[in-house]
Amino acid sequence: MPVWDVFGKRTPGDEFVLVGGIKAPDTEMALVLARETHFRHKEGVAYGVRRRGEEELHVGSYDPDLIGGVTDRSYRRQEAYAGVGGKLKRVARQMAEQGLRIDRPRPPQHRSQA
Amino acid sequence: MTYQDRSSEFKARIDAGEKIEAADWMPDEYRLAALKFIEMHANSEVMGALPEGTWIPRAPSLKRKLSLTAKVQDEVGHGQILYRVAEDLGKSREQMFDDLVNGRTKFHNVFHYPAETWGDVAYIGWLIDGAALVNQKALLDASYMPYVRAMRRICPEESLHLRHGEELVLELVSGTPAQRELFQDAVNRWWQPTMHFFGPPSKKKDMLIHWGIKTRTNESLRQEFFSTYVPKLWDLGISVPDPALAWNDGKGEWDWSEPDWDEFWKVVGGNGPMTQIRLAQRKTVWDTHAWVREAFAGIPEAA
Repeated sequence: MPVWDVFGKRTPGDEFVLVGGIKAPDTEMALVLARETHFRHKEGVAYGVRRRGEEELHVGSYDPDLIGGVTDRSYRRQEAYAGVGGKLKRVARQMAEQGLRIDRPRPPQHRSQA
Repeated sequence: MTYQDRSSEFKARIDAGEKIEAADWMPDEYRLAALKFIEMHANSEVMGALPEGTWIPRAPSLKRKLSLTAKVQDEVGHGQILYRVAEDLGKSREQMFDDLVNGRTKFHNVFHYPAETWGDVAYIGWLIDGAALVNQKALLDASYMPYVRAMRRICPEESLHLRHGEELVLELVSGTPAQRELFQDAVNRWWQPTMHFFGPPSKKKDMLIHWGIKTRTNESLRQEFFSTYVPKLWDLGISVPDPALAWNDGKGEWDWSEPDWDEFWKVVGGNGPMTQIRLAQRKTVWDTHAWVREAFAGIPEAA
């Protein structure tokens, strides 16, 4: 099975950068597998594949906004969990108020009360 | 130039911070050490998807089902990426599969254990992925560039998984007493395997560190894990089943109890509570999905 190197651009102004590789029988399948393996989380605006040993870069024909899907898949990205750090502090405060916080020796940067 | 000279020159490149590409000349010792390490990592990603995968049908809401499914897909995807990197070091995917299911190669100790409750899913998501992320961030500066590229892809996803796990944990610890107990019970059962996960204290001459395939000792990674997560657990009122665990101001590091290393060696040697079941699952999937590999390989030309 041929090996294909996978390239991606993070922003429109970037050059294509090698990000990894896949194995596929032909260009069409290589583009499908490269997208599914390397660009599921909106990692960039364009991607392409190059069969190892050849020169030609085959660029995926997707619109930049379509790479990574168009339905709500925010659970695949950090933004879906933006409030988690704040929630940790809130819950820690509640635990301290309820007397559940465990006071054991800890590094200096972690000593302040929640 | 002799083999020894070329090896010394190669080592000097690594010591100077240069990166090694797949097509570069490399000593056999380097190639074999990198292959063994990356293959074990790839095995662990795929085997690690199995315990969490059993909870997809039982996830408590559609939102949790979607995020857990996506996480499991990510872990298998990491396996795909890493097996590709390992293949370029000279071993076929088929051989790696065969060695895994026949017990000739290893996968991480934590994936030999059962995920018994939803509390375990929360623990794995936050603290096993957290432990993995401590390890993997240290690999971003490894000497083998294809592995570094894989880590640049994998670390952001692990970081996302960590948030997903942290949210699950916070939901449990801020919930009912039964929910808190569910998570505390998971911590009690998973703590020793988590200590094992970082491995025994590194040998004086660790060949992986010598070649820059790994960049830090097991002990320093375990200490970073303690500093990152133990204060958070204590803030949440969750205890850790190690009465000796405490920051030692004098030494500037954590005191902790050495776990039972016999248990670790037994488990990674293929005798964990779920080892045989998981390997059988892996083999069944390989066999029942042969048609997918055949379809991907394309339709053979007519004779």
